[in-house]
Amino acid sequence: MPRLVIDNQDVEVPEGATILDAARKLGIEIPTLCLREGCEPSTSCMVCVVKVKNPDRFVASCGSRATEGMIVESQTEEVREARRTALELLLSDHPADCIAPCQTVCPAQMNIPRMIRQTAAGDAAAAETARSALVLPATLGRICPAPCEKGCRRARHDATVSIRLLHRHAAETDLASAAPWLPACQHDTGKHVAIVGAGPAGLAAAWRLLQEGHGATLFDDREAPGGMLRYGVEEDLLPRSVLDAEFALIEQLGAEFRGSTRVGRNVAIVELARDFDAVLVACGRTAEGNAGQLGLEAAEKGLKVNRQTFETPTAGVFAAGDALQPRRMAVRAVADGKAAARSIIQHLAGRPVVAPERPFTTRLGRPTEQEMTAMLAAASLDARVVPSGGEAAGFTSDEARREAPRCLHCDCRKADTCLLRKWSVALGAKPTRHSGTRRPFELHVAHPDVVQEPGKCISCGLCIQVAARKGEALGLTFIGRGFDVRVGVPFNETIAKGLKVAAAECVAACPTGALAFKDEGMG
Amino acid sequence: MTQTADDLDLAFVDEAVERIGRGPESAIPILQAIQDRYRYLPTEALRRVCRLTEIAPAQIVGIATFYTQFRHRPMGKHLIRVCIGTACHVQGAGVIHDAFLKHLGVPDGEDTDPDGLFTVEKVACLGCCTLAPVAQIGDLTYGHLTPERTGQVIHDFLESEKRRADRRHGEGGPAKPGAEAAGPAGEIRVTLDTCCIARGSGYVYEALQDAVAETGARAVVKGVGCTGMTYLTPLVTVTEPGRPPALYANVAPQDAEAIVLRHFRPHGHLARAGKTVSRLLDQVLTDEAWKPLQRYAVDVRDPPIAEFLGPQKHIATQHSGRVQPTNLDEYLDRDGFQALERCVTSRSPDEVIEEVRVSGLRGRGGAGYPTSLKWQAVRRADADKKYVVCNGDEGDPGAFMDRMILESYPYRVLEGMAIAATAVGAEEGVLYIRAEYPLAVRRVSEAIRRSTERGFLGDDILGTGRRLHLRIMQGAGAFVCGEETALLESIMGRRGMPRLRPPFPVESGLWDCPTLVNNVETLALLPWIIRNGAAAFAELGTDHSKGTKVFSLAGKVKRGGLIEVPMGVTIREIVEEIGGGMTGDRKFKAVQIGGPSGGCIPERLADIPVDYEALTEVGAMMGSGGLVVLDDKDCIVDIARYFLAFTQDQSCGRCTPCRVGTRRMLDILDRLCEGQGKKGDIEELEELARYVKKASLCGLGSTAPNPVLTTIEYFRDEYEAHIDGRCPAGRCKALITYSITDDCIGCTLCAQHCPSEAIAMQPYQQHEIQEDKCVRCDTCRQVCTVDAVEVT
Repeated sequence: MPRLVIDNQDVEVPEGATILDAARKLGIEIPTLCLREGCEPSTSCMVCVVKVKNPDRFVASCGSRATEGMIVESQTEEVREARRTALELLLSDHPADCIAPCQTVCPAQMNIPRMIRQTAAGDAAAAETARSALVLPATLGRICPAPCEKGCRRARHDATVSIRLLHRHAAETDLASAAPWLPACQHDTGKHVAIVGAGPAGLAAAWRLLQEGHGATLFDDREAPGGMLRYGVEEDLLPRSVLDAEFALIEQLGAEFRGSTRVGRNVAIVELARDFDAVLVACGRTAEGNAGQLGLEAAEKGLKVNRQTFETPTAGVFAAGDALQPRRMAVRAVADGKAAARSIIQHLAGRPVVAPERPFTTRLGRPTEQEMTAMLAAASLDARVVPSGGEAAGFTSDEARREAPRCLHCDCRKADTCLLRKWSVALGAKPTRHSGTRRPFELHVAHPDVVQEPGKCISCGLCIQVAARKGEALGLTFIGRGFDVRVGVPFNETIAKGLKVAAAECVAACPTGALAFKDEGMG
Repeated sequence: MTQTADDLDLAFVDEAVERIGRGPESAIPILQAIQDRYRYLPTEALRRVCRLTEIAPAQIVGIATFYTQFRHRPMGKHLIRVCIGTACHVQGAGVIHDAFLKHLGVPDGEDTDPDGLFTVEKVACLGCCTLAPVAQIGDLTYGHLTPERTGQVIHDFLESEKRRADRRHGEGGPAKPGAEAAGPAGEIRVTLDTCCIARGSGYVYEALQDAVAETGARAVVKGVGCTGMTYLTPLVTVTEPGRPPALYANVAPQDAEAIVLRHFRPHGHLARAGKTVSRLLDQVLTDEAWKPLQRYAVDVRDPPIAEFLGPQKHIATQHSGRVQPTNLDEYLDRDGFQALERCVTSRSPDEVIEEVRVSGLRGRGGAGYPTSLKWQAVRRADADKKYVVCNGDEGDPGAFMDRMILESYPYRVLEGMAIAATAVGAEEGVLYIRAEYPLAVRRVSEAIRRSTERGFLGDDILGTGRRLHLRIMQGAGAFVCGEETALLESIMGRRGMPRLRPPFPVESGLWDCPTLVNNVETLALLPWIIRNGAAAFAELGTDHSKGTKVFSLAGKVKRGGLIEVPMGVTIREIVEEIGGGMTGDRKFKAVQIGGPSGGCIPERLADIPVDYEALTEVGAMMGSGGLVVLDDKDCIVDIARYFLAFTQDQSCGRCTPCRVGTRRMLDILDRLCEGQGKKGDIEELEELARYVKKASLCGLGSTAPNPVLTTIEYFRDEYEAHIDGRCPAGRCKALITYSITDDCIGCTLCAQHCPSEAIAMQPYQQHEIQEDKCVRCDTCRQVCTVDAVEVT
């Protein structure tokens, strides 16, 4: 029974136990990627390194035996730095995106690939995906300049996926249904937020606050809600019935609209701040001097706020949308409104107001022609679908279901379960820290249930072990060595032939998205 | 010309499996047999192996793609192997490789010419460092190559092929040694190891046999092992009773008759001899036909040679040049197997281990772990079965000590192994020898056979009832297999991937049994230690580094070759006294010691002794014993990149620091050498190097940064110059330009030799180089007779 010291704590473990076992016994968390119960430690990723003292050396804790008298450091900055470097090196040869470029580009961060897959499957949940991110998906589906489509990688092959028409179609189908989707709301908190301006920013904020159980009252100097959407866009482009239908949902959620009320003249901000638990100023473009009228500080282009948290210098007062800076993009205002609501929710809960981290993602970058061909392996090769009734009419259901499979599925199926991503976030690893030669993007889809993306592989060999243990006739093997080593099926056979019985276990063992179920990450 | 899948006859696979075995450990030998037969590994053959044996597809494909020996594409009829070892690299191996491709018209990205006649391959090291740059075609080695001679080489090779074919069809068998009946009066010894053969010793040997037969001289012609003086080969030593031996260096086949006639009075040729001898000897000195080697007769007492041999101490290489490597009787005549006899008859294993402890012997493979501690651990391990393994996987690009020892003194290594096996209680052993060393493999297996026949190995060693069975396993081209855990994996038929230690092989090695792994040189030292006593060995060397160390000395010294020196001599003594100083009287800049795991020691630190700790202290290491001398025309960044490119290529790929870390380091070095370096690159490189050093799983990764770290430490200004777009040594192609000065006499030689038509022929006028066409092959500078080509 060796006794050792980890981070100044004594621990005794059974003979043969590893340093990692000992650390776990002490409740010390050590990150691992390539370790799996029932498999030999492959001591490959080196993310679980610890420092053993006298003589000082770095070892993989997963495979190193704990010995009598060992002194181990597992949480020093030096150790964390070594773990971070291992992760950053792995990320430097990871030609893949955690989050699809279209989603990264979308100001409102809609999970576009998911919405498209749902559309392709004829799943009504596509509307939920669209509305929960965009709040006004039908409206934006007609007027948004669709920055997402500028990020769409399919353009490198022929033309972008028609993302905007697809979310418009999903939303309109839903609105036309007997019971359009509404999110569940928390119990009433008794707290109430005054929102100045019922444009896209204000509406988006209300939508988020209501779900959280807060009350939301929208003040607007016009008589109807919608702001510039209603008063700055031509009817041909955006029939008001669409806007009305989407506002109706927000009202159903509990929003109160007080039109023809000019804040600063009819009501003062200070009064709102006194009567409500928080105030959000989303009144649109503020003309010179307006800020003073509102009783708020001005900045160069609009109201002065903390750009991360949307707090104004006045306690409890937040501002969002064009009130900060003219932007001309409604979806940007929606994104602002959601972000401001997030801060308000923190403020109302009495928590410190902190801006969210940008979601972690690796980036494939610009694919080569060969990589582009690989990416098309599972996508429809048809040309972009043009709506038969003209752009204004949008897609029919049939057209939407023909357009959706053109999506390349750039996002990672295992974005939420990937250990490389999880520990990169936890240790603050930067995907772009190291650059240089990288392997090409590859995609193998021959297996009925599983997709293999060798670019995401960290060469730990767990799947090889699992396949061998399950008695696969062909199984998997390392091919080549060194930087170019790959996991593949012997004799260049397909993954379908390699994994006949062990596919599910291999997917479960894979710490990244290199092996994933085809329908994984759809939910 | 090439074999295609359609006409494959797989019957051979069945035979090979039958002959070699069906277990997983047979996988590598089976693949080697298949490749020998088909010249690559046809997929159908591999599938057949899986059907016939216990070897799984995953195993066979994993191995076949791990080891560089194995090819997956059909190969041309002849293989040109261009050595890119360190010595060859500094002498321009890269441009030689390119020149072969260009000459043969090999399409971009491929390695075989369109007719399927030649395949051009780079190899890590052919072990002929003193002939650098070198290429091998078939069993012929061409040394001192220049880009423009590649065409000549191919022509010469095809001619020799033709000659051989003719000879096979002709009448003459091998000539009989003369005067056998009367008993020989003397010996004519020809060095016959790989680098000697590379320099034509084989032809000289044949010619000497012919000459003896023809003249009836009372002499036998013997092939002997290496003397270490590789820069003088083909080397012929003539011994006559009662006379000091005479040594002839750089001998050509046509000199054979003159040499024989000089020493041995020919029967029945008396009348003729008087007239011819002097004429022939004149020819020895003047004949120009046997290019490129200069030829001259020397005597062992001549000053440069005496110096070359003088400060050395031959233990591992005892009797160098005087014994026929596979002749067991000669070995026995020189006290062979006496040490083993002592160990099995009059010493207990503990006494033997104690003797080794007192001698202070440390592992010669690189790390310098005390040999007796390893032995003790295996001896104490409680197990029914134990193994002893000889690590002969010398893969360091610039070192060939182990090859020479195995080729020249196979019995000494076997005796060392037998002593080790007796001490630790092992009855089975494996010699792991690189497949690139076919002669070593042949001689060692011959030596095993003879030793077993005579009872030095086998079931009843020297009548004591002890057993020891030895066999050879051929490596398949993976430097990482020099690491002991990787080597053991390889013997078991797996990918040579190192594993985490502990458990160390001494506890759990081959098939989980306690296993002793010792390096070739370590084993070769043992018989001497036992015969002469530990104290005699410990007398040599420094406080913590005892005995001698064999180095292969190469690079920019006048005399390169294999040397064995007592520990404690200084680097400078080696370079100046043994190596004879710098070639071309250039400036001594640094020595690269220890190969890819070692470091660069600058001239100003050259007074440090050869000593494990002293070398480690300056960032280098003893390593396997490569010692490459650099002059001021060698770019230090390029040297660092060269070594890192080697280890990066040889990384097994298991752990992140080595697999990706070395690649990222190389990316930076590539940038620097290509003139794309940017501020902060050096710091980034250092940071990564320190990380890779501390976090890698095995010795390959943790020592890979040494060449980078030492060169940054000692030559930082040269790195900074590269960031500024300059290569002070004028080596990095992207950072230099060639131009012709007004010293040009308009002789047109450069224009005639330029392979890329970058120089227009302008007789009697100053020539010009078109920069966009120039491939910076250096040919023009080499051919210019008036030094009018300038590199800036």
